[in-house]
Amino acid sequence: MSAKWYLGTGAQNDVVISTSIHIARNITQFPFPATLSLQDKLKVNAIVKDAASSVTDYRFNYYEMKMLSQSEVVSLAERHLVSPEFASSRDGRALLLTEDEAVSIMLNEEDHIRLQVMYAGFALDEAYRTADRIDTSLNTKLDFAFDDKLGFLSQDPASLGTGMKASVVLHLPGLVTTSQITRLITTVSKLGLSLRGSYGEGAAAKGDLFRLSNTITLGISEKAAIENLKSIALQIAAQERVAREEIFKAPVTEDRIYRAYGVLKYARLIDTAEFMELISLVRLGAVKGIINMECSEIEAMMIQMQPATISLSVDRPLDRIERDKLRAQLVRHNLK
Amino acid sequence: MLCQNCNKNEANMHMKRIINGRAAEVHLCSDCARSLGYGEAFSGMGFSFADFFGDFLLKNESLASSVRCGFCGKTFEEIATDGKMGCAECYNSFYEKLLPSLTRVHGKTAHIGKRPINAGGGDALNIEELKTRLEKAVLNQDFETAAKLRDEIKALLSKGGEA
Ligand SMILES: [Zn+2]
Ligand SMILES: [Zn+2]
Repeated sequence: MSAKWYLGTGAQNDVVISTSIHIARNITQFPFPATLSLQDKLKVNAIVKDAASSVTDYRFNYYEMKMLSQSEVVSLAERHLVSPEFASSRDGRALLLTEDEAVSIMLNEEDHIRLQVMYAGFALDEAYRTADRIDTSLNTKLDFAFDDKLGFLSQDPASLGTGMKASVVLHLPGLVTTSQITRLITTVSKLGLSLRGSYGEGAAAKGDLFRLSNTITLGISEKAAIENLKSIALQIAAQERVAREEIFKAPVTEDRIYRAYGVLKYARLIDTAEFMELISLVRLGAVKGIINMECSEIEAMMIQMQPATISLSVDRPLDRIERDKLRAQLVRHNLK
Repeated sequence: MLCQNCNKNEANMHMKRIINGRAAEVHLCSDCARSLGYGEAFSGMGFSFADFFGDFLLKNESLASSVRCGFCGKTFEEIATDGKMGCAECYNSFYEKLLPSLTRVHGKTAHIGKRPINAGGGDALNIEELKTRLEKAVLNQDFETAAKLRDEIKALLSKGGEA
């Protein structure tokens, strides 16, 4: 099996965990998914699958969502390869996925095609270049619904125009600890961007992970939207570094990091929420050089320890206690 | 009430979500809610239909019109209720009615940026890629594909390839 995207290391890795580009497209001759019959959805799946097979340099595996187990589907959502909505109803939906999981195409979610490219670290330009190339390549086989004025037509009028959403996942323990997140969320929303918890809402975001995305897609080019996102992300990253310096002045921060490491290293039962809280501290320590771990190992753990993904590592269903036990065991193994 | 996802744990998270065009109450246990990523920006690409059509719904509740989209048959009222356009033609049918919401959400109403090949957006990269594939097809003696590719390239070149 080839290495997954999240095992790579990227630029700005002390703060920026990953980058993704989403592109929404619809095929001209079919109504949008919500009004599409099951039969036509299957047709759309077949047509896009065929078009994807001629994209050069990318090999996609094809999955009918109905053929996957509940744990497999939820694990796809935990790995951010499909949306929770996509996982909630599986009829007529399918997924095209590259082996390294860097490129996924949801079929018949909100739009016929939802292309996602995900890279480790801060890689907006690279991710967009890849997404653009695959989009264009699909377009040589498929006609996309488009209007001169409104741009790419989507089932969701909020993504008209470019149909492109770019986002970065940021690790912001410094800004959370110094209570600056709420202010930041307000500021960012005035700039056509949104900042939200990557797992969980607002300031209670699990693992201090936040996703910064553009919300405006009409009347702004892909390039301008990406430049805008890039400059705001860099400003937030700079603020986070200042906040980290501030919190490290208090000895309690270092103490919390070592305690977190201690608990992760010796706990026998650990649930997702506690794991995310502690691993966030360990990541902060790793970046600072206190804890001897690579950020990429930590990011991989953050994904692998999610409930459904963990359940997939064994061949039988797990109850909560069994899962927490397995998680603790895997975490101990990882920290050796 | 049991969690709708695992059907095992007691549901303790109750959320209103838009699923398949209908506002539905979702009941999940906290584990499933977390694992399904509720509250995450990845879903729905950032906007709920309430944000988008909010004003329209408030101001125009009594406005009843039975104009239907000629292609998919949806009315604007149905669209404003579930937040989903029925098909590409809906944008033609209901353009005027959509305009206020578009202006409010995006600030602008005219697209700038990439155009699809089928709307004259072909670019050099595309043609190069098609040429590479054409060569491969010829090498593999797959003349059916080669003929198709040749047509595509011709079509792109004749559109001028301007962005
Ligand atoms: Zn559940
Ligand atoms: Zn329609």
